[in-house]
Amino acid sequence: MSNLPYPWLEKPWHDLIREGDRLPHALLFTGEAGIGKRALAQHLAQFLLCESPNKTNQPCGECDACRWFLAGNHPDFRLLQPADADEATEDADTSKKAKKKSSVIGVDDVRDLADFVNLSAHRGGTRVTIVVPAEAMNTAAANAFLKTLEEPPAGAVFILISDHWRRLLPTIRSRCRVFPLTIPEPKVAMAWLAGQAVVNPLLHLAHTGGAPLAAAEDAAAEWLPVRSAFLEKMAEPATLNVLQLAAELEKAKLDTVLILDWLQKWVYDVISLGMAGVIRYYPDWQDALERVSPRARLLLGFASQLNESQALAHHPLNQRLVLEGLLFGYLDALRGQDRRG
Amino acid sequence: MAYQVLARKWRPKTFAQLVGQEHVIKALANAFASERLHHAYLLTGTRGVGKTTIARIMAKALNCETGITAEPCGVCSACTQIDAGRFVDLLEIDAASNTGIDNIREVLDNAQYSPTAGRFKVYIIDEVHMLSKSAFNAMLKTLEEPPSHVKFILATTDPQKVPITVLSRCLQFSLRQMTPQQVTGHLHKVLAAEEIVFEPLALNLLGHAANGSMRDALSLLDQAIAHGAGQVEEAGVRAMLGAVDQSYLFDLLDALAAHDGPRLLQTADAIASRGLSYEAALHELANVLHQVALTQAVPNALADDLPQRGQILAAAQALSAEDTQLYYQIALHGRRDLPLAPDEYAGFTMTLLRMLAFAPAKPEQISGNVSPAKPAQISEKASPAQTTASAAPSPAAPTNNVSTSTQSAPVQSGATALGKPEQATQTIPAREPIQAATPKTESAPTYDDLEPPPWHSEAAEAIYQASEPAPQSVAEPAASVIESTPSASPVRENKPAESFNGDWRGLVVQLKLGAAGMLAQNAELLGYSDIHFDLQVAEEHRAVATRDYQDKLRSALSEHFGRDITVNVNIGAIAGETPAIMLVRENAARQEVAVAAIQNDPFIQTLVCDMGGTIDAASIKPL
Repeated sequence: MSNLPYPWLEKPWHDLIREGDRLPHALLFTGEAGIGKRALAQHLAQFLLCESPNKTNQPCGECDACRWFLAGNHPDFRLLQPADADEATEDADTSKKAKKKSSVIGVDDVRDLADFVNLSAHRGGTRVTIVVPAEAMNTAAANAFLKTLEEPPAGAVFILISDHWRRLLPTIRSRCRVFPLTIPEPKVAMAWLAGQAVVNPLLHLAHTGGAPLAAAEDAAAEWLPVRSAFLEKMAEPATLNVLQLAAELEKAKLDTVLILDWLQKWVYDVISLGMAGVIRYYPDWQDALERVSPRARLLLGFASQLNESQALAHHPLNQRLVLEGLLFGYLDALRGQDRRG
Repeated sequence: MAYQVLARKWRPKTFAQLVGQEHVIKALANAFASERLHHAYLLTGTRGVGKTTIARIMAKALNCETGITAEPCGVCSACTQIDAGRFVDLLEIDAASNTGIDNIREVLDNAQYSPTAGRFKVYIIDEVHMLSKSAFNAMLKTLEEPPSHVKFILATTDPQKVPITVLSRCLQFSLRQMTPQQVTGHLHKVLAAEEIVFEPLALNLLGHAANGSMRDALSLLDQAIAHGAGQVEEAGVRAMLGAVDQSYLFDLLDALAAHDGPRLLQTADAIASRGLSYEAALHELANVLHQVALTQAVPNALADDLPQRGQILAAAQALSAEDTQLYYQIALHGRRDLPLAPDEYAGFTMTLLRMLAFAPAKPEQISGNVSPAKPAQISEKASPAQTTASAAPSPAAPTNNVSTSTQSAPVQSGATALGKPEQATQTIPAREPIQAATPKTESAPTYDDLEPPPWHSEAAEAIYQASEPAPQSVAEPAASVIESTPSASPVRENKPAESFNGDWRGLVVQLKLGAAGMLAQNAELLGYSDIHFDLQVAEEHRAVATRDYQDKLRSALSEHFGRDITVNVNIGAIAGETPAIMLVRENAARQEVAVAAIQNDPFIQTLVCDMGGTIDAASIKPL
């Protein structure tokens, strides 16, 4: 009997299992990043593939199918994900294929899926496909997926996972049963984090807005000192050396999305503290936030600018230029000037 | 898997079972009845309105063994095979997977052979908008004149992406979105047939949430059945959809009207703790704001039986029309930005904070960066009594001499800044305006000791200049205020009208005039009253005194002071100084200072004396 990896997934799991035979062929798991959607999907896949005759509400973990699944080579299971997601597994080849890596699921990947879905299964007849993240499918791939998704042959099950389900095609969304997952109770999440030997669970939970897996990552991340240095500089706009900071950040070789996320959270906290007296993400920076927060109103325009940048964050723009632009924008905003007019 | 989702199970099998789309079905049924068949049809419409379904029914209608008919029998082998998806002469092609020209060629090469079992070879090309350009072009010839045994049915959500050459070869039917009533009615039937217990109100909610698509509705129904463990209840559906209880929205609007940031976030937290959807909340908020705006514009527009009627009317009172429009805009933008925020909670609350920030601030919230002449500024430090006092002179202003009435506010601000609020606070509330005027008499002589209040030195200077008439005329406004007090309770709701202190140049700077600024700059102020300005323009500047510029100036002045003002412009010799002349004079003076500074500079003198340098006076510019 294998159990759920995270305690807060118990309730959604029971909601899923309760449906028994009524489980639809296409499920869409939605919710914030880092709350265990993928773990739940894997668990469901294992449960569906489990061949134990007396499975009730958990996969047995002992039959052939479960063992294969846990070893990652069940023939009736497919995981559809962007090419760059499994870079960790193939170290040797990555240097050569570095250029080929992409963060989207292409149309070829989806077409390959057709054979898997339309041919009969190796084992019991159930074939499970997990698409993660579903919004990584580009337009062509998503469209190619539509017909398969709507009326697959008997036994095929699709589980789509999406952090940002609004970015999905409406035609995809309309074909799936949406299964929303919520942010777990802080108590449960904190207990779990404490069990993972995280030193200050409350703080890391705050950093990620309550998502426990993301918080665990937050606690163990290598970039923690970079972020602290970054926030320290943001807290002192008077002495901020934009060019130097942008160069340092670029040297740290972090994702633009990540840095934008820090900046967004910082700006959110400044505004929220200044206007409503609440800090959401960075309670450990209260003093610094209080110093900047009197100018909260001035930052509202900058917050929209950040949103626009976040939309472009996946584009291959020069990171340093993007950061310099944003940091200058931050300073201008604090001075009460709007550069964009 | 034994279970089939409702959307597949309840895919209509005949035209009669279809919901909505009567306009298409009627046309098709008549065509089939009279056997006037087109060879290519194009079905368009949003997701889940029945494109693929109609295509399949058409295939049955064409191939049914009872003959070409609008009512396929559903029992002959052709019909049953089509229903089961294994009829050899029905080729359903997923154009999104087979986008290339090779795929299409392969299909079309087979078109010439006659059908194996049926009457027609029917090609259903679904998601046809994804075909490549060359694939479309490869289709053109066949699509225009196919063999008599071939029928094409194309289906797409996106007809704009289909080339016009293809569109013109097809008979196009565009399917409408379902109305919520149609959706609800259909869900009724489905649930009755499935023998599932339900509450009718729940179906209404689903009908609206489906947004015009029957498949969305059935997917949601599936979800609702799972959510309610085999029943469909209103409360369960509401929770599942994250439909927001309207009372939260009015709490939000209340907090906004009261400029209460913490309460705003508390309400947002309450929404979060109920697990409601933020997108739905923003959507609903926009909806409520729309109704509020509607009420403000057309008070009778609200339906009498609307449950929240009272609250909407209250909100319409509390918010100004501009605020409502602004909040509505921000709510719409907030929905767009939701996926870009760090998380949805942040996106939602940021939208609310934005509403709070852009709301026109109440007097006590105006901070230092507003234009310095506004009397409202003083109230940052003033007690409420003084706030009303500073606003009070304005209703009485028309009866006063302008120069005196202007002063009451700034002067008093000096008094408050100096820590003499007791004079005002001692007063009986009903007589505030009088009291507000009196302290001025006392504090006026102390001018010279005062440092000008830091937040508006310019305005203060203007007062100093005009301060001579103040002492004797103070009694006058006070008296007039007393007289008018009973009726003077601020009738005018707009901001206290600005009044003029004779500083024409300072006024011109504040006005937004554009090209008409030339007129203002070159005009000398001869005389003025509350509602009239006399200007003199020199002969050589006659060109700027056009009718257009005069009108522009007049409207700018009227807007600035908040009352109708007339302007009379004369052409003639200038006795005093116009702003332009003043500027020239000042520039000249600064230039002289700069030149003198350079020439007296010891270092430069050394250069000139010892090194034989010369000073190019024309290159000296004042800083």
